Amino acid sequence: MQKFIQHAMLPQPDHDEQARQDFVSTLRGHLSGRVMPGAYRVYQSRVEPAFKAQHGRTPADQEEVRQVMTKDSYYQFWSAMQRRSQEMLWESVIDPTERQLPMLIGRAGKLKTRKLAKGRRGSLRIDPGLKVPRYHTAADIHLQPGGYHTDFTADDVAAGVVYDQGINLYMGGALGPENNLTGDTLLAYIQEKHPDFKPRRILDIGCAIGNATLVWARAFPQAEVHGIDVGAPVLRYAHARAQAFGVPVHFSQQNAEQTDFEAGSFDLVISHIVLHETSKSALVRILRECHRLLRPGGLMLHLEIPRGKTVIEKFMHNWESYNNNETFCRYMTDIDLKAEALKGGFTDANTRTDEFIPHMDVAQMNYTEHFFWKILAATR
Amino acid sequence: MQTPPERPKGHRPEYFEDPAIDQLHAAFVALATELSVAFDRIDTLERLLEARGNITRADIDGYVAEGAVDEARTARRADMAARLLKPFRDYRESLLDRNRDR
Repeated sequence: MQKFIQHAMLPQPDHDEQARQDFVSTLRGHLSGRVMPGAYRVYQSRVEPAFKAQHGRTPADQEEVRQVMTKDSYYQFWSAMQRRSQEMLWESVIDPTERQLPMLIGRAGKLKTRKLAKGRRGSLRIDPGLKVPRYHTAADIHLQPGGYHTDFTADDVAAGVVYDQGINLYMGGALGPENNLTGDTLLAYIQEKHPDFKPRRILDIGCAIGNATLVWARAFPQAEVHGIDVGAPVLRYAHARAQAFGVPVHFSQQNAEQTDFEAGSFDLVISHIVLHETSKSALVRILRECHRLLRPGGLMLHLEIPRGKTVIEKFMHNWESYNNNETFCRYMTDIDLKAEALKGGFTDANTRTDEFIPHMDVAQMNYTEHFFWKILAATR
Repeated sequence: MQTPPERPKGHRPEYFEDPAIDQLHAAFVALATELSVAFDRIDTLERLLEARGNITRADIDGYVAEGAVDEARTARRADMAARLLKPFRDYRESLLDRNRDR
């Protein structure tokens, strides 16, 4: 596995901070690789048989599984440990970030005006008046204290700095040296399905720290690449980080449900594991906005995580909904993404969902032994 | 400058009938982490002592594990996690055994 790449916008942990991060990463790897699979065995060996003995049938849906599994001591112990490891993951990166925050904010200020090669440049547009939607403010997503949207000081970048390090630990480094896996995966999909597609203007929605956005900006260097998010501190960090890497991207603080871009102005609109963090009503509005923003013949691609196929898989995948503040994620279990895209204005003939097998370290995957990405693809 | 809250906003689940067990459990994980931190620090100390014969606090704080040392530490952490969580594994395996015997 490649080491997480260092750059000017990351803090330097001291000896013990590093040791704490390393242990959390190792612990999570152990939990997902060796403890989590036991929950499936517990279900098969005693929870499902006990249910069957009582009801004369197996559980019909994930809610019935929930009623019995949450009373099982093995599931309780795994959950308690998984939850605590998630809390400690953030704690372990917040300490060095807070200690070095004034320096990092200073660096972000300097990087803003840095000249990139060939006279190209990125930009940053913050909208202090933007109303952050409730699916962000109701709970701190993934337990990151303060969420992705809260500024705790002027020109704050902390949420982005913390998020970048946190997701690296969350996946035990499996997201790649620049947390680039989701971008790489969707790029591999477009290269396989649409090898001749050469977008000139690209929009990445819910881009957060721009980790996936940069994959696209590098793959299509002639394209003008935009990234939007509702969180100001993650965007400030995204811009500084892109500048540090020398990649020109235009970041702006906007809600993907309604942007200020012109209709028909993009060839490609993408998102990477974002849709499940929005609400059911917002989802349709986002897809409608994607439809509006695309030129005729333009392409929309959304990468999503699987929600499981069997009742126990569905229950396990929803662990994040109930225990990791993916509050609005539950409804995604049985949602038909294609049907939602049709509500947004795309046509049946030009819309599809695909399952895409990832190239990644399966031992680090959570909640299931059989992982695949879900992709919603539509042509305007 | 404000600092982020110590706890994330949102529902805080409890997994056991007695919340004390949840707390004990969380403390156990934290204890394990701190033990791992201490082990890493001892490892740094030992390696520095071995290499130089005398050390300062600044030497320790400035030490970065790389290459084979980093790999050895990663292996030791994995070993420690496995040891701490052995009761889970034993229990899981005993269930499998019971299943097979049925």
